[in-house]
Amino acid sequence: MTDDVADFVVVGSGAAGATAALVLAQSGREVVVLEEGPRVRDEDRGLGPTESFMRLFRDRGTQVAMGRSVIPVLQGRCLGGTTVVNGAIVWRLPEDAYARSFGAAGAAGAIPHAALEERMDCIERDLSVAPAPDRLLGGNGSLMKAGAAKLGWRGHAIRRNVLDCQGSGRCLEACPTRRKQSMEVTYLPRAAELGARLLPDHEVERIEVVGSRASAVSGRRADGTRFRVAARAGVVLAASAVQSPCILWRSGLGPREHVGKHFRLHPATAVAGVYRDPVRLWEGATQSYEIDEFRHEGFKMEVTGLPLELAGVRLPGMGAAFQRSMADYPNMAVWGVQIRAEAEGTVTPARGRADLAYTPTRADMERFRAGARRLSEMHFAAGAARVYPGVHGGPEVLTSADELGQLDGLSLDPRDWSIISSHIFSTCRMGADARAGVVGFDGAVHGTTGLWVLDASALPTNLGVNPQHTIMAMAMLLAERLA
Amino acid sequence: MGLSRSAQRRIAVVLADVFGESLDVASAIAAFLDGYLRRAPPRAALGLRAVVWGVTWLPIAFVGVPLPASALSPRTRARYIDRWVHSKSYVLREGFYLLKAIALMGWGAQDAVRLRLGVGPLTAAQP
Repeated sequence: MTDDVADFVVVGSGAAGATAALVLAQSGREVVVLEEGPRVRDEDRGLGPTESFMRLFRDRGTQVAMGRSVIPVLQGRCLGGTTVVNGAIVWRLPEDAYARSFGAAGAAGAIPHAALEERMDCIERDLSVAPAPDRLLGGNGSLMKAGAAKLGWRGHAIRRNVLDCQGSGRCLEACPTRRKQSMEVTYLPRAAELGARLLPDHEVERIEVVGSRASAVSGRRADGTRFRVAARAGVVLAASAVQSPCILWRSGLGPREHVGKHFRLHPATAVAGVYRDPVRLWEGATQSYEIDEFRHEGFKMEVTGLPLELAGVRLPGMGAAFQRSMADYPNMAVWGVQIRAEAEGTVTPARGRADLAYTPTRADMERFRAGARRLSEMHFAAGAARVYPGVHGGPEVLTSADELGQLDGLSLDPRDWSIISSHIFSTCRMGADARAGVVGFDGAVHGTTGLWVLDASALPTNLGVNPQHTIMAMAMLLAERLA
Repeated sequence: MGLSRSAQRRIAVVLADVFGESLDVASAIAAFLDGYLRRAPPRAALGLRAVVWGVTWLPIAFVGVPLPASALSPRTRARYIDRWVHSKSYVLREGFYLLKAIALMGWGAQDAVRLRLGVGPLTAAQP
């Protein structure tokens, strides 16, 4: 039984799915967008980390990659996907990152850098992208700016997709004032105005193939009932680097040696500094300033406006000592380092979930150690009274820049670090043929017609910069060719 | 999968020591843990429930005292908690951090705590 039929069925409504749906709808194609998660209601916004995790994140915020250590992998699971719960960071793909990813994969002819840049121009106009103004840097961003200036490091206000941001510091809880220009307030409503049908609470499990052509998808609604949607022209997978390979795997599609393999991350960790004057993490843009001085060494640094509920996890002390540590929260700045990791893991479907396997390499851990030292150095340059590196076995607290040398001996065992990731890539990576990857340079799945993967899973590798912009530009370019 | 009232009472005593809070605040955190366990995905809930059980019942293994953690003297309980926090075993150390991380969400969501630190109460959307 078929519940609906359209020219294109788009699976996933995040950065890639929403962009593809809009492009296809603009060209007059009939589109159905299927999203596993719920619609985001105003009453779901800005409710704090717990409710945000429970309502808007995959596995209620408990998804982890298992390996030598346990790494939380945060993903949105709602109409608009991760764009609803991210820090609104928009990074144009630099030439060197393009060369390392699309260029190295042999995709330069099919996906020229200039073509991505043109789409990025369009996206930036659509999403009101601009650098965070000084009034939104907050104490956290202003201190990073001051510390970097003192050290002579290259930094800049983060370019963000926001319109009249109120600086409530709660991007990660779904913008409470709807100022973030995420997909559920931009491209998805525009696609719906053009006739696209948005169906939240629809989890796609399988793609049906007739002959070698993808003809329909089937799955389960949130209420447990089953559904089937047929596609006249084809199916666009944009369900994320976790879900897209799982759907292909369950459907028996794509080259087995690559589906769910090559799982890449930008793992990240954070270092907190306590200052003599109030910082007030809850004021200003959640992520307002960044340092790209060390991008060519494999890491970049960003401010991270951690809410009270998450700030104390790695702070030392119990009882009265914990209270003293948390009394510093108003004076605390939290900065993160995100690395371009070389490790590859896997994503495989399991009953009712996905199994993620991932262990950073020694070189990745050396980047973490270098990044943690640089962050600590910058905290002291900005005037921090104390710095908490948060690495097991290392110093619990540093009180002067003279002690930075202690960080050179930090452990390289990932089990000693608090690592997290929200940028995931390459589990259906593109390659010239089935020996090299899951999809071609047009996003089409090798060995199947009428089936494309247009999300971060199709990227040849991790980028080293925040990926939303590149994901959207690639989806826009490739969807234009489908339309 | 939640926490019985007696399990909440026992873990609240431990959490009061961990966070340096009154038993009233710690009891609210324990109630939060109960609610969290009921909503969390099964695998995560199972892991957290195992940690709560372990922290409650394993003083015999860590400090050699055959009592639940809630019945230890404050001094022995502090030593017991310290063994979890600084354990050489990654599984035990991270298990305790998991409990602390989830409990912190219940701690930080309380208006009394937020006001004490000068952070405003959690409010719903104001589009």
